[in-house]
Amino acid sequence: MSVRRRLLLVLPTLAGITVLVFCFLHLVPGDPVEIMLGEGAAVADAATLRTALGLDRPFGEQLVHFLHGLVRGDLGHSIAFRSPVANVIAARYPATLELAAAALALAVVTGIPLGVLAATHRAGALDVVARTVSLLGVCFPSLWLAPVLVLVFSMYLGWLPVSGRGGLAHLVLPAVSLAVAMLGILVRLTRASVLGALGDAHVLAARARGAPEWLVVWRHAVPTALAPVVTLVGLQAGALLAGTVVTETVFAWPGIGRLLVQGIGARDYPLVQGCVLVIGITYVAVNLLTDLALALLDPRLRDDA
Amino acid sequence: MAIGVVSGCTGNATLPPGLVVALDSEPQSLDPRLGIDANSGRVADLLHVALTRSGAHAERVGELDRHWSHVDPTTLVVELRDDFRFADGTFVTADDVRATYEAVRDPATASPRRAGLEAIAAVEAPDHYTVVLRLRHPFPPILEATGLPVLAAADVRRPGVPMGAGPYRLASAETHEQIVLEPNPYWPGAPPRTSRITFRIVPDPVMRVLELERGSIHLLQETLEPEILAALGHESALSVRRSPGSSVAYLALNHGDPRLADRRVRQAIALALDREALTRFALGDAGRPATGLLPPDHWAYARLPPPRHDPRRAGRLLDRAGYPDPDGGGPRPRFRILYKTSSQPSRRRFAEAVQAQLAQVGIAVDVRTYEWGVLFADVRSGNFQMAALTWVGVTEPDHFFLAFHSSMLPPAGYNRGRYRSPVMDRLTTTARYAATPGERRRWYARVQRRAERDLPVIPLWWEDRVVVHTAALEGFEPAPSGELRSLVRAWMR
Repeated sequence: MSVRRRLLLVLPTLAGITVLVFCFLHLVPGDPVEIMLGEGAAVADAATLRTALGLDRPFGEQLVHFLHGLVRGDLGHSIAFRSPVANVIAARYPATLELAAAALALAVVTGIPLGVLAATHRAGALDVVARTVSLLGVCFPSLWLAPVLVLVFSMYLGWLPVSGRGGLAHLVLPAVSLAVAMLGILVRLTRASVLGALGDAHVLAARARGAPEWLVVWRHAVPTALAPVVTLVGLQAGALLAGTVVTETVFAWPGIGRLLVQGIGARDYPLVQGCVLVIGITYVAVNLLTDLALALLDPRLRDDA
Repeated sequence: MAIGVVSGCTGNATLPPGLVVALDSEPQSLDPRLGIDANSGRVADLLHVALTRSGAHAERVGELDRHWSHVDPTTLVVELRDDFRFADGTFVTADDVRATYEAVRDPATASPRRAGLEAIAAVEAPDHYTVVLRLRHPFPPILEATGLPVLAAADVRRPGVPMGAGPYRLASAETHEQIVLEPNPYWPGAPPRTSRITFRIVPDPVMRVLELERGSIHLLQETLEPEILAALGHESALSVRRSPGSSVAYLALNHGDPRLADRRVRQAIALALDREALTRFALGDAGRPATGLLPPDHWAYARLPPPRHDPRRAGRLLDRAGYPDPDGGGPRPRFRILYKTSSQPSRRRFAEAVQAQLAQVGIAVDVRTYEWGVLFADVRSGNFQMAALTWVGVTEPDHFFLAFHSSMLPPAGYNRGRYRSPVMDRLTTTARYAATPGERRRWYARVQRRAERDLPVIPLWWEDRVVVHTAALEGFEPAPSGELRSLVRAWMR
């Protein structure tokens, strides 16, 4: 699909996400006004606030109002924080981006070379190590892995802080626990893809020309094998953003994953909608970048662009 | 698991200066007019002062006020101390008190505390250090509302975090990460001995305990799993403190259900539960089986017989109520009942224990777990039969009126079980308007005896306040309400 067509699909995708989230959120039992004012609030006060927040309007009207605001760039007002949703999210979004980018970089920088090495040393010790790492990465949920990493690196060895956001040391454990699952998948796919590419005609031709093996692998096989890997990285970026919900809560990382959990607990409809929308936009943007990267890697994909 | 493994760990944390206190979630708001959750209260208690505060027996003791008196049943005159100053050095005056109360009473503020001030018709400041609260009708429980933190009059209309006159002032607030306090140089009491208090937000309970073990957090105040608490008790670097709390756990019963509307069935359920064992199971030794809502340390507590565990009598009561055991102790139950609880693991385990004990008398319990917001919405709308809930911070006995009076069905009040009793209505109303402390005590004793007989809810346990802190922290005394004001006198060795 061309990049232009991808771009055209962005708006309906985001509109779909917004409407779906809005509908699901309003189906969940729980009253934001009661949560905000407490159980002892006077009925009249609750009614006044409900009117002020527009929660007494019919569902369809609330949706139209929200979409209207969205078109004007207004994400609404957070019920729990009593401030504009955009401001609340803006304060947390950099932390999430920092964490997700670190995890992504970690997974890519270690996963791809490990996958390539596993393929070029098929059935050897390196291959066994890489496949074991990959299997463990896929199997360990971050909810389990995170405390284990803390026990080893913070408690036993005392090298890293337990939780919170600060310097690079604070970033290591959350990034590792978030990256591990992606790393496992990346190693497996890269290995399989490179193995396939090593049998391609142009790779065989390079070997026949007497090119050294490292050049054959890194110049001829790997670029061909990277297309599915790049696609996977794009898709996994979405999973990374979803994973921040757990990782940020466990590591007291003040990003929008944790904010989303708070918003759901408080039935803060505008905040949850804002968070999901921002995560959706990020996901769509990453996928667009993936398409662009694929077009760079494989000229055939540029044909209809 | 974490505790067992980390014993003897070698972690050597780089500590921030001062004292670090863990919070499980960020405070709802640092504006005390808006934040009513426990964590907002803990921070506010160090930043602000109020006319009165809660004493050791939940009685009201003066803070800003030098003296209060009822000149008539609807007029409360409060004389203020003249030595309290806000963090900018300006004195706290009656104008500040009036402005704060007026701001909370203003519907535009949308303050959750507004309902507590409903009985107030007007707040007057006849001079700098006298406040007059004029009530719409005689209402002795109004003293509870005088715990409202007082803000500077100039601050109440200004956006942002308002300044306080408490022992500490705000140094920095990234509410989603940490809140840092430093001493208020104008505090009239002895200067705080800790130069800096940092509240760190750590949502995960395992991480909070690990941070405490590592020394990067110095104080933790929350309900801990009994096994974690026991393990922490063996750590020489930590000090585990238990003290009477002000929260009571109970089983809410929906009186709209014809079976649960029958007092004999409620009594049978109460007798079938071994509340001593259930309390130990849920809290270890950090709780006591409850005989009612008010704990023994409360000024209005009435001594009642301890909860009995008598499954045979429970069976006879169920027989008499028209629910005979269909197969005489066989697998078929007398009836089934739906038990709703939150998805918290400890709550799930407790539900299974209740299920097992009620099965002994032939009541089959179907346990359903829900996310807290969903559970609470169901309870408030009456969509439940039995639910495990907690009343947190029961200090003013007017709580009985709000929880048991037939006019207090949600959304008006806390009568979540839709309990209706003309006798209880009369008792709670009379107690509510009793003028003197002696009269109030007498009437609330009758309310408690009635509740013990009628079982609008089944009290389970009074939860102790558990604080775990580094052994190097000296001078800290836990308070029943969970407030941290005594940190003013605390210091790190």
